[in-house]
Amino acid sequence: MNLLLRRLRADLFATPADGALSLGLIALISAAAVGLVQWACQKAQWAVIQANSTLFAVGRYPEAQQWRLWLLTALLTAATGVSWGLLRSHPRADREGQLWPRNDRLVLGLLAAVALWVPWALRLAPALQSRWWLLAALLGASRWLAGRFGSHLSRPLLRLFPLVWPLLYLIGMVLISGGLGLMPVPPSQWGGLLLTLLTASFAILLCFPLGVLLALGRRSDLPLLRWSAVVYIEFIRGAPLITLLFLGQNILGFLLPGGLAPDRIWRAAWVLTFFAAAYLAEAVRSGLAAVPKGQAEAARSLGLSYPQTLVRVVLPQALRVALPAMVGQFISLFQDTTLLSLIGLLELLGVARTVMANPEFLGNNREVYLTLALLFWSCCAALGLGSRALEKRLDPQTLSQSASRP
Amino acid sequence: MTSSPSNLMIEARGVEKWYPNGYHALRGVDLTVHRGEVVVVMGPSGSGKSTFIRTFNALEDFQKGTIRIDGNSLGNDLRQIDAIRREVGMVFQQFNLFPHLTVLDNLVLAPTLVRGRPRAQVQAQALSLLDRVGIKEQAQKFPGQLSGGQQQRVAIARALCMEPRILLFDEPTSSLDPEMVREVLDVMRQLAHEDITMVVVTHEVKFAEQVADRVVLMAEGSVVEEAPPAQFFKNPKHERTRRFLDQIL
Ligand SMILES: Nc1ncnc2c1ncn2[C@@H]1O[C@H](COP(=O)(O)OP(=O)(O)O)[C@@H](O)[C@H]1O
Ligand SMILES: [Mg+2]
Repeated sequence: MNLLLRRLRADLFATPADGALSLGLIALISAAAVGLVQWACQKAQWAVIQANSTLFAVGRYPEAQQWRLWLLTALLTAATGVSWGLLRSHPRADREGQLWPRNDRLVLGLLAAVALWVPWALRLAPALQSRWWLLAALLGASRWLAGRFGSHLSRPLLRLFPLVWPLLYLIGMVLISGGLGLMPVPPSQWGGLLLTLLTASFAILLCFPLGVLLALGRRSDLPLLRWSAVVYIEFIRGAPLITLLFLGQNILGFLLPGGLAPDRIWRAAWVLTFFAAAYLAEAVRSGLAAVPKGQAEAARSLGLSYPQTLVRVVLPQALRVALPAMVGQFISLFQDTTLLSLIGLLELLGVARTVMANPEFLGNNREVYLTLALLFWSCCAALGLGSRALEKRLDPQTLSQSASRP
Repeated sequence: MTSSPSNLMIEARGVEKWYPNGYHALRGVDLTVHRGEVVVVMGPSGSGKSTFIRTFNALEDFQKGTIRIDGNSLGNDLRQIDAIRREVGMVFQQFNLFPHLTVLDNLVLAPTLVRGRPRAQVQAQALSLLDRVGIKEQAQKFPGQLSGGQQQRVAIARALCMEPRILLFDEPTSSLDPEMVREVLDVMRQLAHEDITMVVVTHEVKFAEQVADRVVLMAEGSVVEEAPPAQFFKNPKHERTRRFLDQIL
């Protein structure tokens, strides 16, 4: 306790000026917090969220088919838990890893609390509430199992595990859109958070390889390749996304082979992809520039071919350097999906606008926007946390400064 | 790779190189190195030593002359170049270890990927190589966690793990702190007693005197003098060599 006081004093009240600034800030922050809590607990009418929670979550996805989305959520939850646990049961070769670091326990506890409280606060039907509890339990259980028994997995199996994610993406597409014996649900019925996550993840997954190829093209020795990449990147970066979205609705139908962009949603998703790829290419390019020439020379002198050099030596280092910038791109891409509401798609913001236009919920804009902001914030926070963990794991230099030099 | 009946491992004739900016870096260089020989290349900075030995594994191209490595001539045939690179290892001034891989994986990468050898077998070989250069305990560390001397020894072990017939060194001790130069030279000295062919660019006179079969002086893009170390250091033929030795001794 004494220690805490001394620490506080050193951090906040070291000099009179520091003290005044700290006091002012504390007053400001507590006033804002008190105001917000007062409003949220007394004035705000959360009925608008409670009544429309399904709409916000999945739009007009047919109720009889919603079990498919629950199944998908469960699969994703389990995969997350297993990946998380495996990450902890296989610490890096040069490190001591804890199976249950304090942060992990904290995050899991927080998620469990959210899974218990939010469905209750939304007054969801008891059956739905219990599903969220089960999901939280599933996350904890798969995390525990993978942590406990992960070290028994063989190395090749472990290397193959990340492939679960693209596989899940394909399974997810089938579950969402139907086919293979499932009743088809046309894209026009997808909406809300489902549509936001779907377009964002589609664009993030595809813009990544595209951006890497563009960055490589821009550094290529072949003039034609180099100039095509430059023109593409500069054209896309010079045009506002919203114009590209409108343009895409009109011309992508001709540009892409039939079936790839059959309707407005897929066309918009492709535009997002092409747009993000140009920005990603610049991030990757700065990463490539940061890898010393000697790395490629060493790889070549060991007999590695050009593709092997690229994939095993240059790209891992370049992408590691570019990771923070790339995640920044992903986060803004995620937020750019709100522009889809301007071309009439009912993603989160689109749904919100229809809800607010409903006379029944007139004057509830604040509640809706706050909820939206919280939803977006939690998705971006998750992205940020994931990338921070990845960065830490991939950084071979984190230990080098403190390492004992013989 | 076919082995030539003669013992010629490196045969360079009239090699000329212009850099893309027009600079004439190599002006007709000749050099022959026999199997198991250790040749030390010296010369003032900018005389083209690096450029010359980097042509041996096609890290630099050249415009005139011929280079034959173990009987195979270096040309534009990419497959030929890949085949030659597998037989020619290189140790750089800046180590150039792969910082994202552990020390062990630095060694294991190329033999598994390029030669397709089973990982377990390469790993065993890598560990015994690391043992030989005295850093077996560091196998699971990352290069950034090692000292400069240790890194350079790893780099030598990495090149050896490909079992090359020729090993090129480009100023391997020039970026090391003085107290670490010896540990690297000791490893190189050991190697010199084996039948691997070595071309070493260095200014370590003592190393050259003890280990080299021949010492070569390069200046302004060509070979000025080529002699056994005793003669090279005590009784050089050329005025240029004498001037150079005055500067470094
Ligand atoms: N990429 C390059 N482009 C143009 N000139 C170069 C390049 N690399 C080296 N040179 C020039 O070629 C000459 C020989 O360089 P180098 O072989 O590195 O010399 P050394 O290794 O003997 O110090 C130097 O004058 C250097 O400036
Ligand atoms: Mg040099």
